[in-house]
Amino acid sequence: MIKKVFLLSLFSLSLCIGLFAQKIYATKVGQIKFFSTTPTEDIDAVNNQVDSKMTDKGQIMFGLLIKGFVFENDLMQEHFNGKDYMQSDKFPKAEFKGAITNIATVNFSKDGAYPVMSTGDLVIRGISKKQSAAGLIVIEKGKIQLKSKFKIKLKDYGITGKDIGSVISNDIEITVDAKYN
Amino acid sequence: MNKKNLIIGALLLAVVGFTSVWYFVFYRPTHHVRDIAGENAIVVSAKDIVKEFQTNESQANTKYLNKVAEITGEVVEAKKDQTGKPTVTIKSDDAFSNVFVSLRGDKQLEVKGGSTITVKGVVTGFLSDVVVNDGIVTKQ
Repeated sequence: MIKKVFLLSLFSLSLCIGLFAQKIYATKVGQIKFFSTTPTEDIDAVNNQVDSKMTDKGQIMFGLLIKGFVFENDLMQEHFNGKDYMQSDKFPKAEFKGAITNIATVNFSKDGAYPVMSTGDLVIRGISKKQSAAGLIVIEKGKIQLKSKFKIKLKDYGITGKDIGSVISNDIEITVDAKYN
Repeated sequence: MNKKNLIIGALLLAVVGFTSVWYFVFYRPTHHVRDIAGENAIVVSAKDIVKEFQTNESQANTKYLNKVAEITGEVVEAKKDQTGKPTVTIKSDDAFSNVFVSLRGDKQLEVKGGSTITVKGVVTGFLSDVVVNDGIVTKQ
């Protein structure tokens, strides 16, 4: 019994040390853009209120609100949020939780641009899909920035508005730019 | 004389007709921008709106999402976002969950932490904070 308690406290102690040893970088004003291009029309929108946290052990998350995407005109924004596309009244958030798989190659105490790979679960419109993306961690004077660009297929997330494939492309390009505090 | 009036009238009508078609079909859809300053707002304190989202998020979403709210509370901090646009965080009773507002314009807000502020903006939802976009300061 005593041995058990001892082992358990040793375990929780090491867990605590492990947690404290991990450094967390965070921002509430990360930027995520998306871009669709077809011969008929280019569509882009930007969200400057992206919540993101990353640890120096490679754990990473992004959260954003669909209604936070700003378009150059209101009508597009209305359609985007409407029932044929994002249904943002029903699904107000999108989220990514995952890990940077080669975080060991990043030296957080040395300036530089480190290519990274991340993989995790992307949830859009309540549908969760495995998503991988390549990116870059830029460290400059102790400031940490993460950049990434990847494509998603709209139909993977059940987005099947009638303009997809004609005015809106099937694949949407997502650009991530997060400067952490 | 009568004929002349009729022609002028018809021409005038045609001009008005063409202009409104052009405006509503071509100009407005691409140029109209929502102006929240003139919209009626849901008046609420920062403490209450955070509590509402924490207690029942989907109910609060129905009440606030995409609506204009006028929110009052104590300033935690005023900052700039990555693009240089001003932001302000307004305090609730929970230190981990406040009201986060992106403001219009490009000048950082000059307020001291602890002072009271009222901001009008579009509620976009709830992450760790209640998030408000396109905000304007109505009282400071």
